Amino acid sequence: MMKDMLAQLAAGSAGFVELRYHKRTSNSFVAKKGRVDVANHSLTVGVGVRALVDGAWGFAATADTSKAAVQRAIAEAQRMAGALAKARGKRNVTLGRGKLSRADVTGEGFQELRDMAIADKLGQVVAYEQQLAKASGRMHTARCRYNEVLEEKSIVTSDGASCSLSIAQPEFSLTAIAEKDGERATGNLGAGVNGGWKCLFRHPTLDNVVEETAKIAVDLLDAKYPEGGQKTVILAPSVVGLLCHEAVGHTVEADFVKSGSIAQGMIGQRVASDLVTMADSGRETIAGYAVGNLPFDDEGIETENTVIIKNGILNSYLHNRESAAEFGVAPTGNARAWLFNDEPLIRMRNTYLMPGTSALAQMIAEVEDGYLVEGAGGGQADSNGEFMFGTGYVWRITNGKKVELLREATLSGIAFDVLKTVDAVSKEFRWDLGTGYCGKGQAAKVDAGGPYVRCKITVGGRQA
Amino acid sequence: MSKGQTSENLGKLSDSLSRIAEKALAMAKEMGADEAKVATSASFQKRLVVENKEFTLANSLESRGLAILVHKDKKKGSASLNSVDEGAVRQAVADALALAKYSVPDENLTLARPDVAPKTASLPFMYDEPLADFDLEEMQGMMAETLARLTRDKRVALDRYEMAADISWHGMGNSHGVRQTERQSLATWSFFGMARDGDEVTGFDYDGSFSFGKSGLAAKKMEGAEAFTRKILGALKPRQAPSYKGAVLFSPRAVQELLFGMILYHAGGRQVMDGKSRWDKSVGQKVSSDKLTLDDRPHDPRFAGATAFDGDGVPTKPTSILKAGVLGLHLHDLYSAKKTGNKTSGHSGGPFALELATGKDSLASILGAHDTLLMVDRFSGNSDPIKGDFSGVAKSSRLYLKGQDAGGVTETMIAGNFFDLAQRVLAVSDVAENISGSCSAPYVLVDGISVTGN
Repeated sequence: MMKDMLAQLAAGSAGFVELRYHKRTSNSFVAKKGRVDVANHSLTVGVGVRALVDGAWGFAATADTSKAAVQRAIAEAQRMAGALAKARGKRNVTLGRGKLSRADVTGEGFQELRDMAIADKLGQVVAYEQQLAKASGRMHTARCRYNEVLEEKSIVTSDGASCSLSIAQPEFSLTAIAEKDGERATGNLGAGVNGGWKCLFRHPTLDNVVEETAKIAVDLLDAKYPEGGQKTVILAPSVVGLLCHEAVGHTVEADFVKSGSIAQGMIGQRVASDLVTMADSGRETIAGYAVGNLPFDDEGIETENTVIIKNGILNSYLHNRESAAEFGVAPTGNARAWLFNDEPLIRMRNTYLMPGTSALAQMIAEVEDGYLVEGAGGGQADSNGEFMFGTGYVWRITNGKKVELLREATLSGIAFDVLKTVDAVSKEFRWDLGTGYCGKGQAAKVDAGGPYVRCKITVGGRQA
Repeated sequence: MSKGQTSENLGKLSDSLSRIAEKALAMAKEMGADEAKVATSASFQKRLVVENKEFTLANSLESRGLAILVHKDKKKGSASLNSVDEGAVRQAVADALALAKYSVPDENLTLARPDVAPKTASLPFMYDEPLADFDLEEMQGMMAETLARLTRDKRVALDRYEMAADISWHGMGNSHGVRQTERQSLATWSFFGMARDGDEVTGFDYDGSFSFGKSGLAAKKMEGAEAFTRKILGALKPRQAPSYKGAVLFSPRAVQELLFGMILYHAGGRQVMDGKSRWDKSVGQKVSSDKLTLDDRPHDPRFAGATAFDGDGVPTKPTSILKAGVLGLHLHDLYSAKKTGNKTSGHSGGPFALELATGKDSLASILGAHDTLLMVDRFSGNSDPIKGDFSGVAKSSRLYLKGQDAGGVTETMIAGNFFDLAQRVLAVSDVAENISGSCSAPYVLVDGISVTGN
């Protein structure tokens, strides 16, 4: 019904308009140290309007979803665009056509999560926290966090997109802080999916999640830090995903490319070993339930699997409609807005490295002296591809065997330089950043992952 | 829009929110809540965006929100929404109560009473009528002047430049009769980009600030543009720093990133409450070098976080967190205060406006005191607040050799320990910088840092 109303209003508007109804319902629970820190239900609803007048965009939004209010928002967006165009002169903007969606999609698990009693969800969070608190006598703090988002959208453009979706994105994580003789260590495991409750707890990261989280924290109490320097390192899927997203993905967002990122002018050039094929996909690919699965983006363009690096050669940037037309390619379905009152920006969805043919066990067996790095921590990357990531924990590999658990490490380097050193890619694959959010002025729910990847990388040491 | 129209619209919206907030408190009582709090907010924003050196977007937004917190049988639940529809608000109250029903009892849940949260006056500098009337054309003209300065040097790769003018109102009330409201006008701007010279690309950098009023806005913005341009162009042709362990100079931004976070963690009431603070029994004791004095100044117009009351509705006041290295207090809200047997310091949602006091040394004398000195401007890395260890990349940073600027550095990592360096402060500069309106800090020279370059 909302889509029909938006279609009627778009048809009656002069020039190009894009109307987006967005209702977000979320529940957030945090249980910690035997108390409930957060038990919050949130509802945000409204319509965002973009209008294009003489090459200038105007944007307005209203939390009132009545027809009259949306009409006023359209007029305001057109007024803003017109005023900007008048002040700075006309600019020629063409919009790439791509595949304008006409789909109405309800994602798996949406109904299940919406119908599930709030008491069951909160009850489970409290129970998990209690189990974790009791999992070891060394536990100082147990924390359980659950967040679910139910997204409902209708998008209509005056040039033909008319689509709607209802999807669910739950995420769950446990954090354990263990203590011994004043020394503390942290274990952290979590997962997020595009699906329902049952789907969330089928995620491989959540297998035996209480025992595993506690074990990591307790085992790390006696662990040393890894030594710094240039090392042969096997990166786990979560760390590979972080590398793909932060260190490469942002540099190939077309708006950043236009501004001068390191990827500018590099299409067709070698940027990685030929074992490396990297993509950003809004479609289900390799493994199911990635959080960034979206049938269409917030411009109403059908999403696709966009291959960024193909066998080591830079193949594509990530586009919205405007940048696609400017670069003379089709839009890739990467325009996303966080809330109804945010304008769509070029954002990633599920960013990953394609699996290879090696077995992880063999990759480890071939390392004489190196590390296996597990668990993505915080990370940042730069316009020149320089990155820095934290990690959860590290296994020392000596003569082909995992011999010692070590504390977290910091990894750094220049993305394209590191990718050129990749000499093995596993066939094992996992989405593993489903609890992550990307920040670019607005937040975006994204996922990332990949296989295990062996490369040379700088490991930051502790104080010399 | 005619003069005064935006203020009038904000007035109407805030009146309507105040009315619905009172109704929500009544609904909560009627539905069985023992106590309830409602926070409300409303704003009107005009925003202009420049991407890749061109004006691309003009934005007009009206926002509103209600957040409802209920306590029932010593259990809590909350709900928020962006509607003023009475039916939707009633449903939100019911949702919050439903969550409280399945929550865990907690004896320390509490809401402010009028004796600790008396009605407080708004801070007069926070609302400026001329700024509320700032129109799009005027904003575009002001931005165009700054854009011309930013793009004068073709090596400046400006990714995004935004300016926004907001007028907003927020209020809170609870079932014990506490009522607070505050109105604010705020212009904000930000530059984000890097330098590109041929194939060479620097790391990104950013700058930005704010003003509560229209007066002096253009000059302040132009100063920011000059500083941003200098910074990114200065990062071209970087070198690797030598590896050493010793003295490093933290810029005001690095002080904010590396020192403030750690100090606030260990002075934080929530960390004290959870047994995570190493300063839990240190109020009145020396915890750092006597060169460090840190205050929270919530009534100071130099800071965008200025506010007359905190998230509990408790009036804010200037507080001394560190005085010559001695810990002045723990930063408590009502909950952590009750749980630890203390009084709130009015820091729910705070601190609000941090200022690290300047020292006695000139920047030139600090830079000249060491043959080799890394000046860290930004820190991109990880820190363990409990142990105090940190390690990561020194971004936008520079090398000084015998006091002379030897250029920007790349691929240079630093590592150290907060508790160690807090005791090893060698000098604090006699000048400070306001960091994007969020806080103010001088340059701080510390010893014992591992620098890994070439």
